[in-house]
Amino acid sequence: MDSITTAASVVAAGLAVGLGAIGPGIGQGSAAQGAVEGIARQPEAEGKIRGTLLLSFAFMESLTIYGLVVALVLLFANPFAG
Amino acid sequence: MLASPLLQPENDPPKGGDLLLEKLEDSGQSTESNLNLGLPEDSSDASSGEYVQLQRRIYRAALIVSALAGTITAFFFGLYVSISLLIGALSGILYLRLLARSIGKLGTSSKTVSKIQLLVPVVLVLAVSKLSQLELLPAILGFLLYKPSLIFQILLESRSRVSPDHS
Repeated sequence: MDSITTAASVVAAGLAVGLGAIGPGIGQGSAAQGAVEGIARQPEAEGKIRGTLLLSFAFMESLTIYGLVVALVLLFANPFAG
Repeated sequence: MLASPLLQPENDPPKGGDLLLEKLEDSGQSTESNLNLGLPEDSSDASSGEYVQLQRRIYRAALIVSALAGTITAFFFGLYVSISLLIGALSGILYLRLLARSIGKLGTSSKTVSKIQLLVPVVLVLAVSKLSQLELLPAILGFLLYKPSLIFQILLESRSRVSPDHS
């Protein structure tokens, strides 16, 4: 693989993971805060709150996984490698 | 000096305190249970059972979708593509299981959601890129096969909230 392609792939992998984790991280933090507050206020609705949190976390974390998969493909199965 | 008459000697216990503790111990109740603020334990158990049932529904739907996708892929694209897709689908279900476990612990035994489940796609991509029989794209698409079951559950819940009589 060309050295410029290698360097660009490594930089792009870092950017993909780093930038892709910012938004879901903020969203997951605020969602977890709201869920814990809701469970503390209404313990009888704990199951519904946890279920909604599971569904929302799965969708939020998939954005991180997209960036992670792009980074791993660039590092270990690079399509631009000669 | 003014407060000295109010202070009690150490040998003289406060009146009534020991008597209350003895009564509680005789009646078989602990002091912790008497400090309980009236939390309904039955409703909490039923609520956590509801969470477990939701998890089971999601896993069942994900397994059905994975089996359908694996069969269709084996029919149209061949055996190795189908095996790659099924490995990815099983990894997705494992990821969802770890995520559900960490959310179940949130607020009780841990204050944050653990990120151990993110190791599953990392290991999947590394394993698929190292093994020449497996293919990367079907494995990644198979990993994302848990999403249709989640969307199905959301649609089911929203429908049951709109019309609670039919649930």
